[in-house]
Amino acid sequence: MSNPIDPNTKPLPIDTSYGMENRAIDHAFKIAFESQPPKAKVGKRVTVCAANELQPGQRRIVEVPPHSIGVFNIDGKFHAIRNVCPHYGAPLCQGSVHATHKPADVHQYEVALQGRVLRCPWHGWEFDIPTGKGLYDKNSRVMTYPVEVDAKGDIIVTV
Amino acid sequence: MANVPIIDCDIHPEATKENPLDPFVPESAREALRQGLGGAPGAGYSNPFGVTRRDAECKDPLKVGVDHLDKYGIHYGILQPPGMKVSLTLQIDAGNALARAWNDWQINTWLAADKRFLGSVCINLNDPAEAIKEIRRSGVHPQMVQVNVGGESRDLYGHRRYFPIYESMSDMNLPLCLHPGSEGSLDSATPVGRPSTYFEWHTAIPLTFQAHLISMVTEGVFEKFPKMKLVLCEGGIAWLCHTMWRLDKNFKALRSTTPWLRRAPSEYIFDHVRLTTQPLEEPAVPEQLLTIFEILHAERTLMFATDFPHWDFDEPNRTLPRATPPELKRRIFYDNAAELYGLPKLPATLPTTTSSRPVAVGVTA
Repeated sequence: MSNPIDPNTKPLPIDTSYGMENRAIDHAFKIAFESQPPKAKVGKRVTVCAANELQPGQRRIVEVPPHSIGVFNIDGKFHAIRNVCPHYGAPLCQGSVHATHKPADVHQYEVALQGRVLRCPWHGWEFDIPTGKGLYDKNSRVMTYPVEVDAKGDIIVTV
Repeated sequence: MANVPIIDCDIHPEATKENPLDPFVPESAREALRQGLGGAPGAGYSNPFGVTRRDAECKDPLKVGVDHLDKYGIHYGILQPPGMKVSLTLQIDAGNALARAWNDWQINTWLAADKRFLGSVCINLNDPAEAIKEIRRSGVHPQMVQVNVGGESRDLYGHRRYFPIYESMSDMNLPLCLHPGSEGSLDSATPVGRPSTYFEWHTAIPLTFQAHLISMVTEGVFEKFPKMKLVLCEGGIAWLCHTMWRLDKNFKALRSTTPWLRRAPSEYIFDHVRLTTQPLEEPAVPEQLLTIFEILHAERTLMFATDFPHWDFDEPNRTLPRATPPELKRRIFYDNAAELYGLPKLPATLPTTTSSRPVAVGVTA
């Protein structure tokens, strides 16, 4: 039998344009990479501890009723983030700190945010500590607080 | 050998009409065996009461055009030929030849007989290079609208060995259609053991669909091939609500293990995956399906199918719950498939389904 194929072009299916703008995870990482520090604000200034008591990689959780706040030393810089996971209210700051993979091409693994990703101790959702950005969707974000080291060498969080 | 005594350790007796096995089968087991319960893995699963409806057959394109397309006012009918299972052929060259044959058979007989029939390109997944050639050869036919594969496979369909095939399909705007096909013939039809009955096997088919879908989403098929579309045909729909929710939930914690996923898994599903209705779940309260439709964005994702002429056929006039809004009916019966397969738009005023007025069957012009 001869080749029966009719080489006529067929009507192309409507190409529902691919939603690049909806790539929530790229958006999340963009916010994390921009690393905007929390806005300065007027509030209660809380002394956490002396800066030299919190070494790189260490954390301390301070209770400032009604708030619970985790203070982290990441590579010599201090960050403060609310100790509540927006999912089920778990004590987020008790989670492990590690790296993650940023969005990459299929079957590519590119390590990113080394030492600054907090994984909730309950369900494992990931958050970028300096920005509080959830790394699993577009909008979720945990409150972060301005931190400074004062003249005496104490870590001060403004709540 | 006269002086050597012999014992033969391998002689095969056969039961015959004159010397049947039946009288030795306990009465209680005879009916069960007649109902196909004596099946063994090599034989596969088939409906012991017949896979085909007793009042229908699907052998002659002209007759099917009258008995089925005309009868229900079906504008296009997409063929799911047995060739979808050629990838199970043990010998690769034979599998390639069969794939080619099923495609030429569709084109020369069914597609040539009636423009309303649209074909599915059959490929042998075990030879990706030949599969790509076949897609390029048969897929250009204007009535070939997709590539179809069965649920049983050597690897989950997200495996990267299939990527070159998906690339060629994407290039040609041909969706991949996953249809049940001999699940259990290579491995168990379920992850935890072989079902005993066709009943059990048929009910478990969505397990395979779930496995393939989860694999394709998480392995990044839809990131790698943004034009790729997947049709889940005859696998049911309600399970997808659960699968989608579970994917999205797990994604929040485990995204870093598949860093190429840049959107919630459900978003890939809504954009890239289409489902066919038959065999549509039939809850005791039919309106509950409307909630399922809402969850699954049926107005984008759901496409009507009958499975003609099989036993679990869904009748167009009775399939959707009565309370289904007319606009949604229209999307499910025509528009969603027309958009996916690039078929002509029909004016909105056209009746979407035939009236319930009885139509003479078997009338020829």
